Amino acid sequence: MTRAGAPWEFLRWFGGVLIYCRTMALFLLVWHLAAEAVPNKLLLPSPLAVAQALRESWLDGELTANAGISLLRLLVSVAAAALLAIPLGLAMGRSKTVGDLLEWPVELLRPIAGIAWIPLALFIFGIGQRLPIFIMFYTAFFPLLLGTAAGAQSVDRRLIAAARTMGLSRGTIMRQVVVPAALPSVLVSLRLAVAASWTAVVAAELVGAPSGLGYAIEYYRSMLATPTVMAFIAAIGMLGFLTDRALRWLGDLLAPWARAEGRR
Amino acid sequence: MNRLALKLLLPILLLLAWELLASGSARAPRPSTVVQAAAAMTASGDLPTGLATSLLRVFLGFATASVLAVPLGIVMGSVAVVERNLDPLVESFRPIAAIALLPLIILWLGTGTQAAVAIVAYAAFFPILINTIAGVKRIEPNLMRAAYTMGVGALTRMRVVLLPAALPAILIGMRIGLGVAWTAIIAAELAVGAKAGGQGGIGQMMFVFYAYSVELNGIVVCMVAVGIVALLLDRSLRFALARAVPWSAP
Repeated sequence: MTRAGAPWEFLRWFGGVLIYCRTMALFLLVWHLAAEAVPNKLLLPSPLAVAQALRESWLDGELTANAGISLLRLLVSVAAAALLAIPLGLAMGRSKTVGDLLEWPVELLRPIAGIAWIPLALFIFGIGQRLPIFIMFYTAFFPLLLGTAAGAQSVDRRLIAAARTMGLSRGTIMRQVVVPAALPSVLVSLRLAVAASWTAVVAAELVGAPSGLGYAIEYYRSMLATPTVMAFIAAIGMLGFLTDRALRWLGDLLAPWARAEGRR
Repeated sequence: MNRLALKLLLPILLLLAWELLASGSARAPRPSTVVQAAAAMTASGDLPTGLATSLLRVFLGFATASVLAVPLGIVMGSVAVVERNLDPLVESFRPIAAIALLPLIILWLGTGTQAAVAIVAYAAFFPILINTIAGVKRIEPNLMRAAYTMGVGALTRMRVVLLPAALPAILIGMRIGLGVAWTAIIAAELAVGAKAGGQGGIGQMMFVFYAYSVELNGIVVCMVAVGIVALLLDRSLRFALARAVPWSAP
């Protein structure tokens, strides 16, 4: 973004909004006409019915309650994964011994998708809070670990050498040099981890949780309330989009230098 | 040698600890019982059949996604108007996970192979599309201009200049898409679980082990199989990437 005059920027932004509205309006129109053509309203409800269902589940608090539960699970599990994975990743990236030690366990476990743990976790944890949190923790852990390790590994050697020459201790070098240099890559992997976890939460709740957005979708499907199912699906998409935006914003705030690097 | 010992240390310790800790209970799976179960499941043909079912679905869905996403990505990447107008749709649907659509797809297509293929195709579609668009947009414009100046026709230009230049990005998108597709099929089969009859693939096998026969060794065997297949799929596309576009190999 250059400072080439605010009005021009505004016009461009406004044009983008217009195009967005036009495309989505066209899409909704096609959807509506298709819904009119399909005789069975259970199969394809019109966008109006979905909007109505969205409004109703918003008003009676069901949408916010389930979304709150799912988001809270996301927050708890990603925070736990970050607390464990980021220090471990820094150690993996900076120390060859730790890297060698952890390489095989990570490479052996990582290909097993978090979702594939659901049956075993169902058996261990039962249906409830702990199952989705475990699945999301597991899903978020590996991207964070490997992203942090890659970031810590690719720190410019001359920076560390310079810091060492100036007599800084290992801990200070870690805090002042390695962490800031690895931060952009940590933040990118955080976004990947959250996106993957958000997918996993739906799967985990669909199968084994008595609450949350995934559970709500499955419940309303069994009730054949298709408009409500679609409303909840839209809510999942919107929340996924918003969390990603929030993380991007947080990234710009925490590591403004990463943005400059990305643009280069 | 020393490094190899270090790398092997934790896996061996973990397996030993698992074997010892689990030996107290009769039901808990242990490495030794899991290996036995794997041998039994392979001998009876259940495991290969389940894997083959899931893999076939993944390949069908993945092929569908590629056939749709690559041409669309090339058009969106090279024609700005098309990209501007379609981008809102892509950005609106991309955050919706394939698994979230599962209930709708069950409603439309039932619980059989068709539904599974649709889920996989949706899951793999967006990574391939996004990477294709990015790959086409990153092409050095002077290459296209040079070809244009030399009087090369539009189709030849696409085949000779655009495709080779965008191929690394397309293949990376396919690699990501294939990984996502494999996860999606497991999730879909798990969630369909008890509802579908007989031929449900590896995910449903796991669910049946959990819900009916309470065969924990079988669940672990399936998990390991899922991991191995994921690894092999990723490696094979990485290999394809290195062979097809050696100049961009990592």
